[in-house]
Amino acid sequence: MTAPDFVAGVPGAVHTVGRDGIDTVRVEPASWTELLRAAQAGGYTRFLDLTAVDEPQRAARFEVIATLHAPAAQRWLRLCASTAERLPSAVAIWPAANWYEREVYDLFGVRFDGHPDLTRILLPDDYAGHPLRRDHPLGDEPVDFTVTRETDAPW
Amino acid sequence: MVTANETMRINLGPQHPSTHGVLRLELELDGERIVSCRPVIGYLHTGIEKSMEARNWLHAIAMTDRLDYLNPLGNNLAYALAVEALFGCEIPERAVVARVLLAELTRINSHLVWVGTNAMDLGALSVFFYAFRERELLLDLFEEMSGARMMTSFIRPGGLQDDFPDGWMQRCARVLDALPPRIDEYEALLTENPLFRERTIGVGKLAADDALALGVSGPLLRASGVEHDLRKARPYCGYERFQFRVCTATAGDCYARYQVRIAELRESLSLCQQALAAMPGGPVRTSDRKVMPPLRAEFQHSMEALIHHFKHYTEGLRPPAGEAYVPVESPRGELGFYVKSDGSGRPVRVHERAPSFANLQALPSMAKGMLIADLVAIISTVDPVLGEVDR
Repeated sequence: MTAPDFVAGVPGAVHTVGRDGIDTVRVEPASWTELLRAAQAGGYTRFLDLTAVDEPQRAARFEVIATLHAPAAQRWLRLCASTAERLPSAVAIWPAANWYEREVYDLFGVRFDGHPDLTRILLPDDYAGHPLRRDHPLGDEPVDFTVTRETDAPW
Repeated sequence: MVTANETMRINLGPQHPSTHGVLRLELELDGERIVSCRPVIGYLHTGIEKSMEARNWLHAIAMTDRLDYLNPLGNNLAYALAVEALFGCEIPERAVVARVLLAELTRINSHLVWVGTNAMDLGALSVFFYAFRERELLLDLFEEMSGARMMTSFIRPGGLQDDFPDGWMQRCARVLDALPPRIDEYEALLTENPLFRERTIGVGKLAADDALALGVSGPLLRASGVEHDLRKARPYCGYERFQFRVCTATAGDCYARYQVRIAELRESLSLCQQALAAMPGGPVRTSDRKVMPPLRAEFQHSMEALIHHFKHYTEGLRPPAGEAYVPVESPRGELGFYVKSDGSGRPVRVHERAPSFANLQALPSMAKGMLIADLVAIISTVDPVLGEVDR
């Protein structure tokens, strides 16, 4: 599949196609806003999703992934940028990004510069840490199974 | 004391019957009029995406059921399609058609709950009982097929967990035949009901442009006049073979959303009947042993089957490294799982693009300037499931 036309105009943009057939464009964080604006101008007018993946072995450990939709062409698009801690906010371009950026901030600790209200959204305000980071422990409670206790059962 | 020019701040929820779960709304009121509304979510956050990373690819199926308890089979399907996109595997014909049937049955299930609870929120209690009575017929079918009424985990990467039990399809056809007159009954109670119309017409308007800018999808978007349905726009799972229309309305108010969902109930019934009629024979599990384990019967004569079984249950599925997102039309809108694999038995990331999350974000713009009593109708027609909002 050929790259969408707008990709050529964004410096450093690398186009690939995912295993699901969706166009994927990766850029440096400095070009993030430019990429989003170019995508919007290129027909990808609906903002659908924003999430991140934490890979702590890399210096820019968080890969932030936005999913967009072009209603006229019925094409989906994935935009990615890797960062160590911050990215420019997309809220000025798409109001829909507001809660999604708050979620990524809440769960990963990625800061979005220019976000109007970058506060925790899912977790309590006084929660310490960002649980979807790889180094955040998976919480659990010890389960008290009766079968693990001493019993008089004949077996 | 509140003086004439002051506004009052109150909390609606998180424990309030009309919030359909644990949704808190911080309201600023001028008398009974809503000046601003700020949804506060997270009360049901269970860290389900974190849990998925800690378990294997198959375990995540059981968690997808729990994200949206009204659409368990649809969630199973969205997740299975994403994992299958990583594998690039083909699904047997019977499983493809059966998936359409199951996804549409769950849509009917979800919309029935919606019709019932929406009517109840507006004071029409009988419709609630009737709709739940019919929903029970569907839950019985799910229970007979998968063993569970709601947490079905029936659609798996590679096909279905099992074929339908004997006689299930005939019983399913009987349920489908029984439903149209029941839908007429709800319509007789609501569609021309002056009280219901009074409470919904012109209430909670959402313009098409706003809906698109806020990432709204599903019946909410279609009620604002945007003809967008993923089953038509980006056909998955063989939807392109079936005849159905995309139900839209133009008013963008609560009544329009009611009209869209009632119309979708009928379209889904027709889709189910088409799927039952077109159901081919053959297996419901792919023969690709990297995706689905062999049936136990094969162990008797195949060493290879036994090895595959062992590898499957010790290492789990191992999709090739890569990422995938397959959007599907859930009863609430665009649902998709973003999955990322590094080739190991555990997902690097599973993220749900939850339709309710985006739809709920549009609530403040619908509520602004409305009466506080209208807010109940608006929340209800947004149809959020907090399980998938908070994840």
